[in-house]
Parts: sequence; C-alpha cells; structure tokens
Amino acid sequence: MTRSYSGSVWAMLTPAVALIGVFILLPMALTLWLSLQHWSTQTGFQTARFVGLDNFFEIFGPTSVGRDFKGAFINTAIYTVLSIALILPLSVGLGLLVQQRHVAGGNVLRTVLFSTYMVPMIAVALVWSKLYSPTEGPFNQMLGWIGIGPQPWLSSPDTALVSIVFLNVWQQVGYFTVLAIAGLTQIPQSLYEAARIDGANAFQQFYAITLPLLRRMLLFSAVIAIINAVQVFEPVALITQGGPVGSTNVLTYHIRRVGIERAQGGLGSAMAVMLMLSLIVVIFALFALARRKDDE
Amino acid sequence: MSAAVDQTPRQGLLFKRKRPTTGDALIATLMLAVVVASAFPLVWMVLSSFKTAAESMQVPPVWVPRSPSFEAYEKVAGVLNVGRSIWNSMVIATVTTAGILLTSLMAGYAFAKYRFRGRNLLFSILIATMFLPPIVTLIPLYRIVGSLGLNASLAGVIVPNLANAFGIFLMHQFIAGVPDDLIDAARMDGASEMRILFGIVAPNVAPAIAALALFAFVYHWNSYLWPLTVLQGAGDQYPIVISLSRLLSYNRGAMNTNLVMAGATLAVLPPLVLFVFLQRFFVDSIVGSGVKG
Repeated sequence: MTRSYSGSVWAMLTPAVALIGVFILLPMALTLWLSLQHWSTQTGFQTARFVGLDNFFEIFGPTSVGRDFKGAFINTAIYTVLSIALILPLSVGLGLLVQQRHVAGGNVLRTVLFSTYMVPMIAVALVWSKLYSPTEGPFNQMLGWIGIGPQPWLSSPDTALVSIVFLNVWQQVGYFTVLAIAGLTQIPQSLYEAARIDGANAFQQFYAITLPLLRRMLLFSAVIAIINAVQVFEPVALITQGGPVGSTNVLTYHIRRVGIERAQGGLGSAMAVMLMLSLIVVIFALFALARRKDDE
Repeated sequence: MSAAVDQTPRQGLLFKRKRPTTGDALIATLMLAVVVASAFPLVWMVLSSFKTAAESMQVPPVWVPRSPSFEAYEKVAGVLNVGRSIWNSMVIATVTTAGILLTSLMAGYAFAKYRFRGRNLLFSILIATMFLPPIVTLIPLYRIVGSLGLNASLAGVIVPNLANAFGIFLMHQFIAGVPDDLIDAARMDGASEMRILFGIVAPNVAPAIAALALFAFVYHWNSYLWPLTVLQGAGDQYPIVISLSRLLSYNRGAMNTNLVMAGATLAVLPPLVLFVFLQRFFVDSIVGSGVKG
C-alpha cells in the first residue's frame, strides 16, 4: 500500500529537485534565453541585450562565425554517425562472443573489454596520440609488418577525425557490449531450440530471432551512443585543438571556445540550442522508426 | 536466470569439449584477438612509462623497455604536484559520490513509494535531464557558479553535481522492487520515514547503491570538461586528469613520451583497480539502467 505522506514527500524530494533545478533546469532555460541575447560571459546576466534571432542568423551566415559553426556541426554529425556505425555492430558481435558457450573465457573477455571504459578519456587521448605518432608510434610499425605504408593519422585533415572515432570506439565499446549482453540474455532459449528443430542454421537464427529481439536494446544503445558522441572533447582539446584545418573542430569544443574562452555567451548559447534541437529531432526520429518497425 | 537458460548451452559445452571443432578454434582465435586489441593500448602505456626518455622516442619503437627505470615517475612527480592532484581528485570524486547517493536514495524512494500530485510529470522532467549533454548548459552554469562565488574552488566542481537523474532513476528502479508490506510494517511500529529509508529500504537495495557509488566515483574521477572550466587558473585545485594536460604542454618541446605515459598510468590506476575488484556492480548497474527501463 502506498499512501500520501505529504510532509515526507517534500523532505525526500527537495535536495535532488533543488540541485537539479538550479544547476541543470535553470541553466537549460537560460541557454534558450541567452541564445536571443547579446551577452558577454564575463558579465552578469543583467547586461544581456535582446537581439532576437541575430545570433542564429550569424551562426548560419556567410561570415567566419557561420563557417566555423557549420564546420563543427558537420564534423560532429560525421563523428556521431561513424561512431554508431562501428559501435552498434561491434557490441552485438562482441556480446555474442562473450555469451557463446563453446569456448571458455567469455567473462575474461568481458572484463578486458569493459576495463577500457574505466580509463579517463584524457589518458586515452594521451596514450593514443602516442600510438598514432607517425614515426615512433607502434601503429605505423604494425602496419609496416603487413606491408602497409605509414598513415598520417592525427596530422592530416583527411584522417584526423576518423582517428579520433577509433579512439572513442576503443574506449566505449565495452559499455555497449554489456548492454548487448543484457539484451541477449533476455531472449528465451526456447526460440532457438524451436528454430533448430525447424532446421535453421546459425545465421538464420541470428537474423530471424536475435536481431529482431535486440531491437529495443539497440535503440537504447543508439540513443546513448549519440549523446556520448556529441560530448567528445578531450582528444580534440588536448591533441588536435580542432585541427588540422578545422577537421576535428567538434561542437562541444567549439561551443566552449566561443562561449567560455571568447566569452561570446549569446553566440555560444545559440550554438548549444542548435545542438539541442538536432538531438531532439534525431532521437524522436529514431523512436518513430522503431515504433513503425514494431507495428509491422 | 532460469535453469532453462543455462541447460542447453552447458550440454553443448560438454559435447564440444570432447572434440574441439574448427569452429571452436575460430572462436578462440577471435577472442584472443579482441583481448589483445583491447588491452594493447594500456599495456603499451605501462611499458612506455618505464622507458628512459631516449628509449621512448626511438624509431622504430621499442616495445619492452631494455632497462626499466622509474625515471619518468620521478620526473612527473617533480613537474606536477602529483600528491596534491590525486588528493583533489579523491575529494571531488568522494564528496560528489556521497552527495549523489544521498539525494538519489531520497528522491528514488519518494518516486517509488509515495503517491502525490504531479509525480509522473516531475519524474519525467528530471529523467529527461539524463539525456542533456553537459555542453548545452555549460555557459550559463559557469556564470551561475561564478556568481555563487564558487569558481576556482573544489566546491565549484562538486556542488552542481550533487544530484543527477541517472542516480534517481537507478534507485527508483530498484526501490520499486522492495515490498510495500515491509515499509508498512515499519510504519506501524512508528519508524520515521528517514529511518525506514536508511534502515530498511537502503539495505534491501545495497547492490544497486554499490553500483551507483562506483559509477559516480569513476565518472567524477575521470571528468574533465567541467573541472577545466571552473578551475581555470587555479592550479593547486586541479584534479589529476587536468594536471595531465599540463604535462603535455610542459612536454611539447621535448616530447618525452615516457613522462606522458607515467602520468597517464597514475590517473588510470584508481578507477581501474576499483573496477577489477568490483566489476560485478558496474555490470549490474548498466543492466539495471538498460533492461528494466
């Protein structure tokens, strides 16, 4: 039985609600409001001056502000799509590898995979920047062993963003593998038994049973992976500083540079609003797609 | 996990054990390859941290240091205030975690076990913040924390993170499973709500509390963007992950890889050690946040 304990309710809720209200919901509302203001981050909120949609015209305009924002937006989109395209299939494949009972060692595999998720991103970035080093880095040496020439990795605009995607996938894939395993364990074994009796081979079982029943888990993973991907910051801030020639200038890095370092609070907020809106659109589209599949 | 789930694969295992097939060999090879790929960067980091400066810059790269030395660690200790940085990280991660546990338990209990007007709406609003990337609120938050006089202080790093939606959600998921009869019986005995929460509910969800504690600790030990923003210029307040970036700029001229690797190893150790001993709780919390939702 659950009754109303009106006094206790507020005693229990006030700490969390007040903290989240002041430090998440209020800043969220302020970001929306500031996106319509001309405001320097160095001064109080009362110095903000209403300028309507000017900030948005500027970040989508032809000036250098617009070029940089659009570049960062596109880089973030590419980075996000590549991350998900690698992480989701890998997490399912690795989940199956951990779950299989033919060869022992699944738990060891899971432990090693997931341990990378515990490593601070800053340390990951530092270590990988050395692994990628064109001369004394082991990656190019290993490529040499199999007859592939040295790659520029982080030092060329063609490869820098992809190199950071690899680093990110290495760090995060263990987390998503655990999610995939959680989904896999929920699939009733009786379905596989029935399929085997009907003569379905392993691939048919995967496409007819595993994949469809993992859809909810994959949707959840995709949403988390998107949210994580737009937060990429450390490798860019530390190693590439957005370069070479803007190829790794991603939104989190760019918004912080504009809004905090250059103190252009209004412009930075407008950029943050655009990021927010894009996320809402993409996530709703994903859910709509998943629901349509459910109806089929 | 039901018996039915375990039975079939176990039979398969026994059968396969007698006669390993080429399929088994393929799986074993694949597993080994994944373990190597996954562990390689960390192994290389630790090995490189024991190299001398010259050895760490050699072309082609030296994999195993020929005469392992602590040179890099001694130098890092001289460049960074390592002890102070690790202490700062400890304070940030510990205090933040304690706050998150307290606020999440209380709010999770209220949402799971009380009926009140606007409950679903309030819960939805709070949970929605789980999907808000921190960069969206960074600019005004920096200003708010500044006007509270908390910039350049550990309090500025800690206070905004003392409650979060993930914690409330996780606690709600698990507390909802605690039988109402247990709580009602305690109320009959005249126990206060706080006493019920900490004496009866909390022990019943202890594994979930452990999971949340570990996750919060590692997350805030590792976090970079917010401390970097709040602590600008306050070098003696830097946590270890921010001190590490100073190492890189110190290093830029000489590029002594062994220094960077020694610093990175120091920053990695605490969360990794926690994980290796307590990984079951991490896995539980991921499963709890994903599957039951």
